[in-house]
Amino acid sequence: MSDDVQKVILQLPASAEYVDIVRLNLYGIASKMGFTYEDIEDMKVAVSEACNNSVLYAYGQKDGVVDVIFEVEESSLSITVKDEGESFDGLDKSNERMTLHDKELSDVQVGGLGFYLMQALMDDVSVVSEAGKGTVVTLKKHLNFSEEKV
Amino acid sequence: MNTHKSNKFHAKTETKGNVCTVFLSGELDLSVASDFRLVMEPLVGDTKLDLVINLKELKYIDSTGIGILLSILKSRQGMDVKFMVEDVPPQIQKLFDMTGISKFFASQENSH
Repeated sequence: MSDDVQKVILQLPASAEYVDIVRLNLYGIASKMGFTYEDIEDMKVAVSEACNNSVLYAYGQKDGVVDVIFEVEESSLSITVKDEGESFDGLDKSNERMTLHDKELSDVQVGGLGFYLMQALMDDVSVVSEAGKGTVVTLKKHLNFSEEKV
Repeated sequence: MNTHKSNKFHAKTETKGNVCTVFLSGELDLSVASDFRLVMEPLVGDTKLDLVINLKELKYIDSTGIGILLSILKSRQGMDVKFMVEDVPPQIQKLFDMTGISKFFASQENSH
């Protein structure tokens, strides 16, 4: 493979029924690159959470699209999930690593775990959200050659 | 979308004595969250039953699925009745540990 970044681009309806298509494509690309089973499972969860956010919050009742761009580099895979809907409300708050670890069950709020999972499961996460222009989530995972491959 | 899905979500309920076990298979994500809620709704409020979810054949869960388990934990705790998960696959256990939901399941097991 050359030094250039090679791209695979998917455009899907912003609907929950298509998120599994993103996982299937991710599996194909990541296993071909030599990622371990565990890394692929981690990426599946992170990418699905990014797509869920676009599906749930970007377009309200309107139809919209989600672009998923896989950027294959020699030693890493970057996945960008992009929508052009309303920006995700309360993004800054969810960046405060919301987990259940220090909470009692009675104090727990359901929801908000998605962003935490993306950050915990990927090497790099960037979220850029601009009012009225949509949200771009970029997730990156480095290839670790020392482990067993799928 | 009516395409064939090998990872299609399915829930099967089995009641033996006072224990109700729900066997989940396939992928539990946002697209099937409402189906899963519908299956669980009548069971969650039944205080005569111990409720168990078997995850042996579950291939994938997202934060929506974990969120539903969390709300079941909350309702069952509120009624002081049992709710447990069993046969949790390693990749799902990892997510339970990461998010912190594991400790609530663990405390259910210890309290009875």
